[in-house]
Amino acid sequence: MTNHLGDIQNSKAIIIFGANPAVNHPVGFKHILKAKERNNAILIVIDPRFTKTAAKADLYANIRQGTDIPFMYGMLHLIFKHGWHDPEFIKNRVFGMDHVIEEAKKWTPEKVEDVTGVSADLLYKITKAYATNKPGTLLWAMGLTQHTIGSSNTRMAPILQLALGNMGKFGGGCNILRGHDNVQGATDMCCLSHTLPGYYGLSEGSWKYFAHNWGVDFNWLQNRFADKKWMHTKGFSLAKWWQGVLQEEKIYSSSPIRALWIQGNGITSIAQQVKVQQALDKLDLIVIAEPFVNEAAVLTNKKDNVYILPTASQFECEGSVTATNRSAQWRSKVVDPLYESKTDEEILFLFAKQFGFYDELVRGMMMGVKDGKAVKVKNSFKWPEDATREIARIIKTIGLTGWTPERLKKHQQNWHMFDEVTLKGIGPMKGEYYGLPWPCWTETHPGSPVLYNIDIPVNEGGMGFRARFGVEYKGENLLAGDRATIKNAKVKGGYPELTKDNIEKVLGIKLSSKEKEIMGKNWKVDLSGLIAKYALKAGIAPYGNAKARAYVWTFPDKIPLHREPLHTPRFDLAKKYPTYSDKKNHYRVDTKYISIQQKDYSKEFPIMLVTGRLVMYSGAGVIERNSKYLVQLSPEMYADINPELAYKYNIKDGDMIWIHSPEGAKIKVKARFTYSVAPDRIFLPFHFAGVMQGKDLSENYPEGLVPYAIGESANTVTNYGYDIVTQIPETKAGLVRIEKA
Amino acid sequence: MSTLEKIKVGRRSFLKLAALSGITGATMLNASSALRDATEEEIKNPFPGSKKVKTICTTCSVGCGIIAEVHNGVWVRQEVAQDHPISHGSHCSKGIDSIDYIRTEKRVKHPLKRVNGKYKRISWDEAIKEISEKMLQIRKENGPDAVMFLGSAKMSTEQAYYFRKFAAMWGTNNIDHQARI
Repeated sequence: MTNHLGDIQNSKAIIIFGANPAVNHPVGFKHILKAKERNNAILIVIDPRFTKTAAKADLYANIRQGTDIPFMYGMLHLIFKHGWHDPEFIKNRVFGMDHVIEEAKKWTPEKVEDVTGVSADLLYKITKAYATNKPGTLLWAMGLTQHTIGSSNTRMAPILQLALGNMGKFGGGCNILRGHDNVQGATDMCCLSHTLPGYYGLSEGSWKYFAHNWGVDFNWLQNRFADKKWMHTKGFSLAKWWQGVLQEEKIYSSSPIRALWIQGNGITSIAQQVKVQQALDKLDLIVIAEPFVNEAAVLTNKKDNVYILPTASQFECEGSVTATNRSAQWRSKVVDPLYESKTDEEILFLFAKQFGFYDELVRGMMMGVKDGKAVKVKNSFKWPEDATREIARIIKTIGLTGWTPERLKKHQQNWHMFDEVTLKGIGPMKGEYYGLPWPCWTETHPGSPVLYNIDIPVNEGGMGFRARFGVEYKGENLLAGDRATIKNAKVKGGYPELTKDNIEKVLGIKLSSKEKEIMGKNWKVDLSGLIAKYALKAGIAPYGNAKARAYVWTFPDKIPLHREPLHTPRFDLAKKYPTYSDKKNHYRVDTKYISIQQKDYSKEFPIMLVTGRLVMYSGAGVIERNSKYLVQLSPEMYADINPELAYKYNIKDGDMIWIHSPEGAKIKVKARFTYSVAPDRIFLPFHFAGVMQGKDLSENYPEGLVPYAIGESANTVTNYGYDIVTQIPETKAGLVRIEKA
Repeated sequence: MSTLEKIKVGRRSFLKLAALSGITGATMLNASSALRDATEEEIKNPFPGSKKVKTICTTCSVGCGIIAEVHNGVWVRQEVAQDHPISHGSHCSKGIDSIDYIRTEKRVKHPLKRVNGKYKRISWDEAIKEISEKMLQIRKENGPDAVMFLGSAKMSTEQAYYFRKFAAMWGTNNIDHQARI
């Protein structure tokens, strides 16, 4: 999220793609409603379903799923045609927009209508309303990301904002609504198979930086891996780890997966549940550490070697969490861990002792910086404060240096001293933004509530776009233009990211020999803090000031291109907008694209499948299905179906129906009549588990721990398909067939 | 009911009273002689000496504030945080129910092990010993990449960081979490 929820109240237009905040983020949605009330903002919703958010919209487009790119190119087509774009912004702050303009020319409103199902007239109305009411903010969630082209979708939306000059503006930006309390924080810490904490990647230089900061020998760390190679190779992902067990598709790893270790991850939130079940059955060991029974323990037919460890909830431990807007919030412990529960960190520490690396694991908490080097400074640690300090000491890439436990706790004590719309502090918090939204470059920096804003000084949260990809590409300058000077900066226009080698030249300063000796190679690894210090003194951000890339030469599609979902109801368009070639070794496993799409499924599976959340549930639903009260609001799994579609199959409201996927999986659920889905699609909530392809799994739960509600999982029938870059499952586009049960 | 009528309680006071007496409305209808009128002070402050803990809702990513009232180590009441800079006293149906994390009877209460298809109670010591032996055996036979670690967007930032570090020191990049969905 480039801006923050309160800042949406500064927007004049709000456009939402594939998100339903009225249901999924109700309190966040309050800020959108305030924007409507106080600022007369126009709310536009683009969604394949008439959601509760859409019900509050001024303009709603019922889009065919998987066609957001054509829709946005259609908007750009009209924007450039009518001169609604921001030429000055594009010239100074965007690289490669000319490629986008060329592609947009092809997407006439008529063509967009054919592909997306949204009329040319409505496209014009929406585009004009959004482009001529500035600033405009663009929101999205999983409706945009869970596609084979999800990564392209997430580039397309910022391109639209860049064309309109809506980035780096109060009331503008791209505001992505995360699903859980700490998706942002856990992502920043990179519980991810392709990178180290702070998005440092997996290169040898990154591992050496972390080994140094963890106080461990790099060779020892390297020897922990199967081989040097695997230390630098992306691991299996959450989306397809199960193929690491089943090996039906070719895998590329030093070993198949034999053990699964889960700490806080609903098993039914990923696609292909039948395959997941088969993989669980084949594992040698399953270890689950959670407050409630993870349905992995229930789904599997494994008779032994499944362990469940009682684990403290968020209210039984202390630490920081990062909200969707990059603000860190301190969470105090409410009560001690219940029953025999232990906290997540305690469980890690206990097993680290057994595995022989406890000392290495915790050493980082006893270290500090001396003369630009991480050294051991004490012999004991206090959780979580010393872990917070360790993170602040190491993570420079996203600017966590300023996140000390003392500052975060002070923010918690002073909730009432911050403004809702600006996040600005008053009284004792004057000069800081609530939660010190990253980047928070130093221990005195106030945080950055709106990313890429050059209209405010860096020491008040301003910055340009990060200079991450060199200073030129094929002779063209990648740095920001002269008109994109950050307010009060001593350096005019664009400048490269700061390194030990270029800092004197860029800032026009002279370093002492001592400073040179202790300074890190570049701003990302400079433990001395000197680069950040001198950068801020000159009023610039350490990471450079470059153009945002609309054209990315390293991506499969250099500019976002429309590609039909693997299972498309418009097989005719799959020929015109085909998906990718099959991809070898995608997170250690072959992944199919064209070999799936080349077959026409639309005759046998004519109905589109939409999935989403309900207001009383979240995620895989494990938490809420164990709440007696919430469950009563929506106690059973169902499918939303338009009466017109139901009529074709002789289905009546409340009838049980079978839903079949192209992969041969099926679920049995109750039909619920509604006009919120069009007659060519159905909607399934994805919070249920405990029933598998018609079979009640109640007896598989530990005694007394069957949740108050169980039901079929939507992800049993969501289709095969994975994003070409991130491998996120394509659960937001797919086909099914239905029949009366 | 007479008790209630006498003090002409509003909804809030009723809830406080219900919490205080710890009995259900149905029992109260019987006007048992075991009941006495709550004093004014008891209605105002039913949990003397309780502390109010500031914490953050865990349901979605908005980051709403929660005020948890804790009495003798028990979370007794949940208040909305009127002064929180993001939520300003609002809560959704899920957030307002955060206290149920603690009150539900459905929590896993002790380590469990599946034996011949049924879950049986074991001790932490047994669990740690058995799991460690199996993990190390698998590591010995197939190397560290034989394990997949699934972490969580429900962890604190510190826990998530340590989970990543744990996987690194185990010796694998087979680690992921909800950001992949």
